[in-house]
Amino acid sequence: MSFVNEASWDRIVRVILGIVLLYLGWAGVVTGPLGVVFQYLGLLPLITGLVGWCPAYAILRFRTKKA
Amino acid sequence: MSVPLLLQTLRQNPLPVVVDVWAPWCMPCRAIERPLAVLKEEYAGRVDVVKVNADEQIEAARALGVTGIPTLVTFREGKEVARHTGSAPTAVLRQLFEAGLAGDAPAARVARKGAAGPAPVARTLRALTAAALLLTGWLSGPSILLIALAGAVLFSAVYDRCPLWRAIAPRLASVLRPRGQ
Repeated sequence: MSFVNEASWDRIVRVILGIVLLYLGWAGVVTGPLGVVFQYLGLLPLITGLVGWCPAYAILRFRTKKA
Repeated sequence: MSVPLLLQTLRQNPLPVVVDVWAPWCMPCRAIERPLAVLKEEYAGRVDVVKVNADEQIEAARALGVTGIPTLVTFREGKEVARHTGSAPTAVLRQLFEAGLAGDAPAARVARKGAAGPAPVARTLRALTAAALLLTGWLSGPSILLIALAGAVLFSAVYDRCPLWRAIAPRLASVLRPRGQ
């Protein structure tokens, strides 16, 4: 797909990071305001990793996926 | 062109190849003859065009799985990446040439087959993510949000194999497609 701007390794790293953040937030490993931040911040790398498109990359005209 | 020669041409050609299966008596074939010639010239050096006369090269047409003419099949590195049967405007013919360059099937083919789906790597990544989310959701409460998210991610991994989705996808596509296309 042409809109994808993340390489496979980038997507895997994002998905793992997202799951770890969600786990830390939702499982109560990290509590308090930081835990709440993790609960929702984890969705960001998870979704961008699954979709393969990073809006920040698009804005900065950067991509890890080779054309 | 014999079947072995045709297959050899498709496999060994470094350029994408658009195979035009036609017949002299076929009026739609004549209708696309001129736009095809223009595109052939425009894409010269980037995409090759091979003509297969369905009357004279029956085995070759059969090997390509042709059930009606004109049929245009785009090959890239010996693999079929796009196909169109019937007369078509230049824009659709151009899509077949572009599909050869991009290696992607045109939207029309994807919609017709309804089975394009995610790439194997993406499918695996989504399925594993869904499992991890489900586990995390179960261990943390359980969290309905994470379990619902796991369900959505799992569906995105296998949506192309869901009979309900395959039934409604073409209708959705026709509703969402801009008028005049």
